[in-house]
Amino acid sequence: MLVLSGITSTVTAQTSLHQQIDQLIAEGKPQFEQQAAPLADDATFLRRVTLDLTGTIPTADEVRTFVADSSPDKRSQRIDLLLASPEHARRLQYLFDTMLMERRPGKYVKTAEWEEYLRQSFLENRPWDELVHEILTVDGTDKTTRPAARFLLDRELKSEVVTRDLGRIFLGRDLQCAQCHDHPNVNDYLQRHYHGLDAFLSRSYLFKDPKTKQASIGEKAEGQVSFTSVFTKEEGMTAPRVLDLPEIPDPADTKKAYKVKPAKNVRSVPVYSRRLQLADALTSQNNEAFQKNIVNRLWAMMMGQGLVEPLDMWHSDNPPTHPKIVSLLSEELASHEFNLRYVIRELAQTQTYQRSSHVSAETEIPERSAYQMGLLKPLTPEQLAWSMMQATGVTSATLERLQTKQRKVDEKQKTKKAEDPLWQEEALHDALKGNVAAFVRTFGIVGAQTTRFDASADQALFLLNGNTIQAWLAPSGNQLTARLKKLDQPTAIAEELYLSVFSRFPTETELKQVALFLEGGPKPTEQDLQQLIWAALSSDEFRFNH
Amino acid sequence: MKRNQGCHSLDHQIARRQFLAGAAGGAVCLGLSDLSAHAATVKSQHKRILQVYLQGGVSQLESWDPKPGTEFGGPFRAIPTSVPGMHISELLPHTAQRMHLLSIVRSINIKTNDHSQGRLFMEKGRRAGEYPYIGSIASKYLAPANSELPGYIHISTRGLNDATAAFLGAQHAQLKFEGVKPPQNLGLPKNLNATANTRRLQLRQQFNHQFRQGRRKAQTETFDASFQQASKLMARKSFFEKTPDAKDLERYGKHDFGRNCLLARKLLENNATCVKVTHHGYDSHAENFNFHLEQLGEFDKTFSMLLDDLHERGMLESTLVMVYSEFGRTPKINVRYGRDHWGTAWSIALGGCGVQPGAIIGKTNEKGTAVADREVDAGHLFHTYLQALGIDSTRDHEIGGRSIPIGDPTTQPIKELLA
Repeated sequence: MLVLSGITSTVTAQTSLHQQIDQLIAEGKPQFEQQAAPLADDATFLRRVTLDLTGTIPTADEVRTFVADSSPDKRSQRIDLLLASPEHARRLQYLFDTMLMERRPGKYVKTAEWEEYLRQSFLENRPWDELVHEILTVDGTDKTTRPAARFLLDRELKSEVVTRDLGRIFLGRDLQCAQCHDHPNVNDYLQRHYHGLDAFLSRSYLFKDPKTKQASIGEKAEGQVSFTSVFTKEEGMTAPRVLDLPEIPDPADTKKAYKVKPAKNVRSVPVYSRRLQLADALTSQNNEAFQKNIVNRLWAMMMGQGLVEPLDMWHSDNPPTHPKIVSLLSEELASHEFNLRYVIRELAQTQTYQRSSHVSAETEIPERSAYQMGLLKPLTPEQLAWSMMQATGVTSATLERLQTKQRKVDEKQKTKKAEDPLWQEEALHDALKGNVAAFVRTFGIVGAQTTRFDASADQALFLLNGNTIQAWLAPSGNQLTARLKKLDQPTAIAEELYLSVFSRFPTETELKQVALFLEGGPKPTEQDLQQLIWAALSSDEFRFNH
Repeated sequence: MKRNQGCHSLDHQIARRQFLAGAAGGAVCLGLSDLSAHAATVKSQHKRILQVYLQGGVSQLESWDPKPGTEFGGPFRAIPTSVPGMHISELLPHTAQRMHLLSIVRSINIKTNDHSQGRLFMEKGRRAGEYPYIGSIASKYLAPANSELPGYIHISTRGLNDATAAFLGAQHAQLKFEGVKPPQNLGLPKNLNATANTRRLQLRQQFNHQFRQGRRKAQTETFDASFQQASKLMARKSFFEKTPDAKDLERYGKHDFGRNCLLARKLLENNATCVKVTHHGYDSHAENFNFHLEQLGEFDKTFSMLLDDLHERGMLESTLVMVYSEFGRTPKINVRYGRDHWGTAWSIALGGCGVQPGAIIGKTNEKGTAVADREVDAGHLFHTYLQALGIDSTRDHEIGGRSIPIGDPTTQPIKELLA
């Protein structure tokens, strides 16, 4: 089979990565195709991939155009288009912010600066190892790289927080219980793993400049890590090391210990920094855990659950459901210079990703880990906010307003900003970020390391009665309620509703259902229309990426 | 020192209540319409928790472990209680008369003087890590499936936001009441009446019905559960908004804490599983004695009324009562007549549901500076609470393929307290 032309030139094997993945998913299951759900239809695919790659649902017009498009490779084309969009960088900014900072409030580094740092990194598609390297090596004193120091600074260099999070977030191993003893339930998690990681950072500390009040990272030149089990009273000692990789001993030559000596109100800088060894050791090609962790997380983002699940519980009693896929993906990632976009794109092109989340009534619902049908993925708070604004027409109305304003400026300054997609994305984001924040407050889970779905009464009350959504349902300008109001026929109303909210055309049954609901009088009342939209926005179909 | 006051049998409780109701001409406000319904409620063995959190760190010397006449004892006396030989601070005269319902742990050392670390340790039974609060655990394991109220409700007048449910999931997270104010968004949007609301919810179900064909149910059911819980709360909007009975207010006190405790009683009577009431303002770095005089004055009367009511309604047998802080206060009195943070040797009171009443666990040395006997920390207390509630805290939470010990496996319950 020919490799599709859009794929990066380094893929020279006859079988592309996405085809190999599909083969591995079906491997050993002769009945796979018969049991599996078919590929999702075009409209469903478009909604799914737009949500996954850009964080919002498509517009009604985008659905119409995509469904009508007859080119055979339109799905690949769409994937490329979305990956190249400014919205894709924003989506990854949200995802990686949540992953790395777990919705901590900004303490020493402004959240906005950190977010901007992430977004720029994803706009440039910086390699994952390089990004992590930067995040773990900066000390917060250089203005240009200071935002990257947030990972350590906003954890205040607290050993029990940083060490645990290094294990979870970069290695997929929650070593918390191994702080005081070898893990009671997980044989693979040893106390020395925890303290090996801890040893990289145990000499580093949060330094607050008394003059500028700015926090940065200082480090001492000495300090060993030793530990005692609270169970067995066994004692241990370790130099820095990543899991079972070799220890990294301090250099023997210690004639001069400091570049800047410790003193009152002085940030000490050692000649030999253990902290600077961490990023090298973590991102080293020898450290498979680092590669496997990130491909598992990308898989979970696209497919709805990790090949190892929970995402931070890699150990021999909880092996990957598809170990060959994990190995394949991590090798491919490493041989593609840790290019995340390459992996995401290949995942999006698999049949595994594109399968329908729905099976016919007669078919038994297969196991989640069989990937014979698409999994439901709850929308993140950010996806939910942007999708609701898209569906109700708030996004397009806001963009129009911003563009009108900008066009006047453009005219004067002879620029074309109003037409620039990057400008549009940024302007929209700035204008609507307050709404996104309201959703994050209500729907955001602190410390999320999971693909599990939760829903609370507060969240439902927010959807049921909250002002934010009610305001979006008001028939202003060209927003959805106003558009529906202008339509006479229930059929036309149903079609516009379904395309705008569900990103698909309604079925015959659904057309009838909408007509039945609106059968209150000669012309549907504004309230009927608002309720119609509300019910659609609050439905399962909208709440999940399916 | 342990006294077994014995469990009051259900029959006895009911008889006593009938007697009281009769004596008061049927005018005693009991919050429930008839006795048989009430008996059924009690019989269902639904175990509950009342947490009274004295935020900021109540002084053990001015409450459960007075040391009058010693170097750090402060100006207040110790008074006898309804348990012979047990003395507590004279700042708690009403509570003192009810100590036969409670027990004291006087030997807590949590080795931290940090508000947040102390609070988290006391709630999670762990020094660090994302573990669920006791209230979330109660919600998960004790709340009846058809409960009309969320499992864990926290009444507080200040914000302290925390992921209380950790891995147990959002439906077990605390639902926060700002004082007696109901949760946000309980009222229907303007221009939407009950009929229209029903209509829109029906339509939502219609959409869902179609979507669910041929799909897995677990996640959509969770989503639906949140709407059902929201609807329950909305249906009880007036319940939350109703002004309390004047007599009750008189007894409990017309201050925030009084009102909050009345709401707590109402919630517990209506089968809430864990209700936490926070009484703020014990962080007395200055003027410790005046502050405690005022704060505990408010606490003492109100708490005693609440305890009486739970007792008289026969609910104490199934309700674990915890009166706790994030730590105690330094024996040493500072230059501003204050006491600072002290996690090293301090006390809590607890009672009800499976807790041996009238006991004193552990003691501090003569000056109250250190634990002298039976040292425990929040890990031990955590096991104790849960085992009193009938939850085997040595077992694991089984969550999404992960087994997580419910209580810290390195600690045990205070066995003497478990009747």
